[in-house]
Amino acid sequence: MDEGLRSELQKQGVFVTTLEELYNWGRKNSIWPLGFGLACCAIEMMAASMARWDLARFGAEVFRPSPRQADLMIVAGTVTKKMAPQVVRLYNQMSEPKYVIAMGACAISGGPFKQGYNVLKGIDRYIPVDVHIPGCPPRPEALIHAFMTLQEKIDAQQLKGEGRPRHLDPDAPSEFPIPEYGEHDLEPPKNPEVWRPAVVVR
Amino acid sequence: MESLEQIKSRIEAAVPGARIEIVPNDSPSGQRSLLVDREHGFAVAKWLRDDPELRFDYASNVTGVDWPDAELTEKVKVKKVVDGVEQEVEEVRKTVRPGYLEAVYHLYSMERKHGPLVLRMRTANRADQVRLPSLTPLWRAAELQEREIYDLYGIVFDGHPDLRRILMWDGFKDHPMRKDYVEPDDFEYEPTPHDEVLERAWRHYPAGLKQ
Amino acid sequence: MSNPYLPVLILMVAALAFALGPLALAWIWAKKFSPKKPGPAKNATYECGLESKGDAWVQFKAEYYLYGIIFLIFDVETIFLLPFAVAFTGLSAGAFVAMMIFLLLLVEGLVWAWKKGVLNWE
Repeated sequence: MDEGLRSELQKQGVFVTTLEELYNWGRKNSIWPLGFGLACCAIEMMAASMARWDLARFGAEVFRPSPRQADLMIVAGTVTKKMAPQVVRLYNQMSEPKYVIAMGACAISGGPFKQGYNVLKGIDRYIPVDVHIPGCPPRPEALIHAFMTLQEKIDAQQLKGEGRPRHLDPDAPSEFPIPEYGEHDLEPPKNPEVWRPAVVVR
Repeated sequence: MESLEQIKSRIEAAVPGARIEIVPNDSPSGQRSLLVDREHGFAVAKWLRDDPELRFDYASNVTGVDWPDAELTEKVKVKKVVDGVEQEVEEVRKTVRPGYLEAVYHLYSMERKHGPLVLRMRTANRADQVRLPSLTPLWRAAELQEREIYDLYGIVFDGHPDLRRILMWDGFKDHPMRKDYVEPDDFEYEPTPHDEVLERAWRHYPAGLKQ
Repeated sequence: MSNPYLPVLILMVAALAFALGPLALAWIWAKKFSPKKPGPAKNATYECGLESKGDAWVQFKAEYYLYGIIFLIFDVETIFLLPFAVAFTGLSAGAFVAMMIFLLLLVEGLVWAWKKGVLNWE
């Protein structure tokens, strides 16, 4: 709808909205995260939900113990290769729409343990990540910033058409293949449909 | 606590046939250790625990060490006949010391308030004879740590009640802490690659990095 | 029109509409916009990231119930003991003897169960 007309109407005390905006406004202010921590980043995540940083301001204080009730998975901490199938399975069990925040250096890329033998080099190898936060660990402010970024992302989503999000597209996958324990590594080591290697620019 | 030499001689008297060696340590700590052969390792450990003077009742730490095959060089003076004249010539001798795996136990005594005593046991080689007696029946604290050594170094502890992998999954075949372990080549991008990581990055970006 | 139960009926309809309205709205919304996406992991019974193994039907040992019954007997016994202990100073010797007999009967049962091997957990 025309922005000028809308602001004109607002001055008269008439608020108009679209179904899409109403839907996105409702969703972005009630993101329920999955109560799920893997390492030290989880401590910062807990701090963010407590009184001092108060994640409740964003409607996100309800940490759900069940993936069925959660909208957002905060991958807070190092994902070891032994833990990776469980993380992917939890993500698969979440109901649509679902979002992922990769919190901290380890969840993004393996972080300081990148050259180790048992650490997954980033959870985005298996599941689509919406927001990455760098830091080791990121401060609660950074997590809040990630929340706001996610809210902006949700706010911009369309209900219909080509640019609609995954959960509204009947052809887009909802579950991603769960890696299996292999003899030397996880099988497969990455999901090429989700993950593309970083581009080197020098 | 008695000196290691005293302990050694007392063990040799108490456990007949035990071959014990004192391993020197030239680092600043200078902490020497007792090397026990694996046939008598359990008996010696039991004696160390039960001897009224020593009473090592607490195994604070158990760890593994991987010693790969090493080439030792030493300079030896040899008498040789050169041009009809007998001379002393320095010669470099090279010997290959076969590799082995080692389990190291740090023992303390709560009762006598002394320690640590460092106890070592070595396997015959690194490939197929990797068995050592488990000391878990003596010190329960060793159970999880021996499992960890089994997982990461591949030492098989005979007499361990529950020898399974502890950190890696059950189907895993390698022993990651061994020196010759090759980790899977599963990362591409590194912001500041160097040495091995640079070579690996070249494999993933044959054109991109050489610019 | 003057039926006194009419407001109740209206309230009932309103309550039903209040409960079913959002559900119907959500259902229509889902029909129109969001497609269903079931999957094997999503439909799994157990939802903690691990795969469920084995059967949920496990056998309890019969000893467990015997244990439970013996515990219950002595648990109830404390209910009788408490007022006895509170009023102990004001009671006669006969009351004390009666209580001891009561205790003895129960302890006798415990000794008998012990002899039977009920308390041995295998």
